[in-house]
Amino acid sequence: MVWGTIIAAYLFLAGLSAGAFLTSSFVSRKYPNAVTMRVTGRLISPVLMGIGLLLLIVDAEAGLKNPLRFIYLFTNFNSVMTIGTYFISIFMMAAAYIALMELLKKKANKIVEYVGIVFAVATAMYTGFLIGVIATVPLWNTAILPILFVVSALSTGIAGTILVSSFFNKHEVHQVLSVKKIHLSLLATEAFLIFTMFLITSTSNEAAAESVSSLLSGEFSLLFWIGLIAVGLLLPIIVESLELLNSRKMEHSEAGIQVSAAGTHDIAGTLVTESSVLVGGFILRFLLLSAAVPIAFL
Amino acid sequence: MARYGMMIDTRKCVGCYACRVSCQMQNELPVEVSFIKFHEKETGVFPNVKNEIIPVQCQHCEDAPCESVCPTKATYTTEDGIVLVDAEKCIGCKYCMVACPYQARTQDHLTGVVEKCRFCAELVADGKQPACVTTCISNARIFGDLDDPNSEVSKAIIKHNAQPLRPDLGKSKIYYVR
Repeated sequence: MVWGTIIAAYLFLAGLSAGAFLTSSFVSRKYPNAVTMRVTGRLISPVLMGIGLLLLIVDAEAGLKNPLRFIYLFTNFNSVMTIGTYFISIFMMAAAYIALMELLKKKANKIVEYVGIVFAVATAMYTGFLIGVIATVPLWNTAILPILFVVSALSTGIAGTILVSSFFNKHEVHQVLSVKKIHLSLLATEAFLIFTMFLITSTSNEAAAESVSSLLSGEFSLLFWIGLIAVGLLLPIIVESLELLNSRKMEHSEAGIQVSAAGTHDIAGTLVTESSVLVGGFILRFLLLSAAVPIAFL
Repeated sequence: MARYGMMIDTRKCVGCYACRVSCQMQNELPVEVSFIKFHEKETGVFPNVKNEIIPVQCQHCEDAPCESVCPTKATYTTEDGIVLVDAEKCIGCKYCMVACPYQARTQDHLTGVVEKCRFCAELVADGKQPACVTTCISNARIFGDLDDPNSEVSKAIIKHNAQPLRPDLGKSKIYYVR
């Protein structure tokens, strides 16, 4: 395909960045004491988006050689890419401002944060619309794709924030139970959306059926089943479910309350699940770009 | 103002690649890059089979998907209906390559700019024919104004009932006799 690993990484990072921003906004309201997670989410968000944009610039060779041409990106309002450029620019400015305020330990302007929240959602959706509007590739040209990308963006955003936070504060990541519950439901939704998308699109068109079969049983099947389904979805769903069950038990036993109060939890489970969600998020985008079969025009 | 288009008679095409070579000469393309791609298609059931050779290049669609997705407006349509790329505006994002239903676009790896068939716009402006048309050994290609009912191309399209490759994918301006 025309778009390869670099663009897959960009789509992944843009979603991850938006998701991390939203996660930190949620955590700051729901768990005002979970400072590490809030700060982490706010700091990694603009950094990851920045890396994604650098990758994009490297992939756009003609622009890389003549950087002034990137100004033209703001000109064609019929193009989803132009709309996305506006979304990302606004989101990036808001996220960078919030991160700066966090570093300076100053109070951030609430309105800027709300703007950031709106454009974080817009950025996550845009990554789906970018390829979703391409009628030439029936695998992408479905209404469910932008939804799948938003769900995956939120899921990777939570995973990225928890993963980085766990290095600095083991105790805290075990307290944000509702984040974990949301994460689990996002993962389950993602699995359902992938199933729906493949089942419906494969019946819509020959090229789409070819794409789906290359993923399920062809060229990309190993990466799909092992990388995306087993590692990216099933593993985190199982571990996260066990963790939530366990935390429920903890609340009901004397020893459990003591353990959680002492904060001596192990973070191995967290490290494994959150990294596997991130791996799955990248593989999802890589597979969708790689398995794109254009319609036959002859 | 004209509305330039072309008719390609695949029954006359012998697959000699002369059009591709002359196109590469005209546009100073490297050997491995070409704006014309040759596709083969087998139809029918043995023993009644037919093998077609179908040269495909930019179809100069009137509602070009490449033009609408291009974020920098580098792709544009001239008053004469020729779809062109402004090399000074192209950033090489390849969105047009993804959107083109005919995979007619290629990227110049020296400049990173995306290029494609230009209907030899500078030759046509001088009143000449595109290089692929003049060079075709079997006269399989006819170029001209689709809006002029008396042009050679308009008459030929009607005579042979030539059709676009996929009328359902957009209003392309290259008609094929198959």
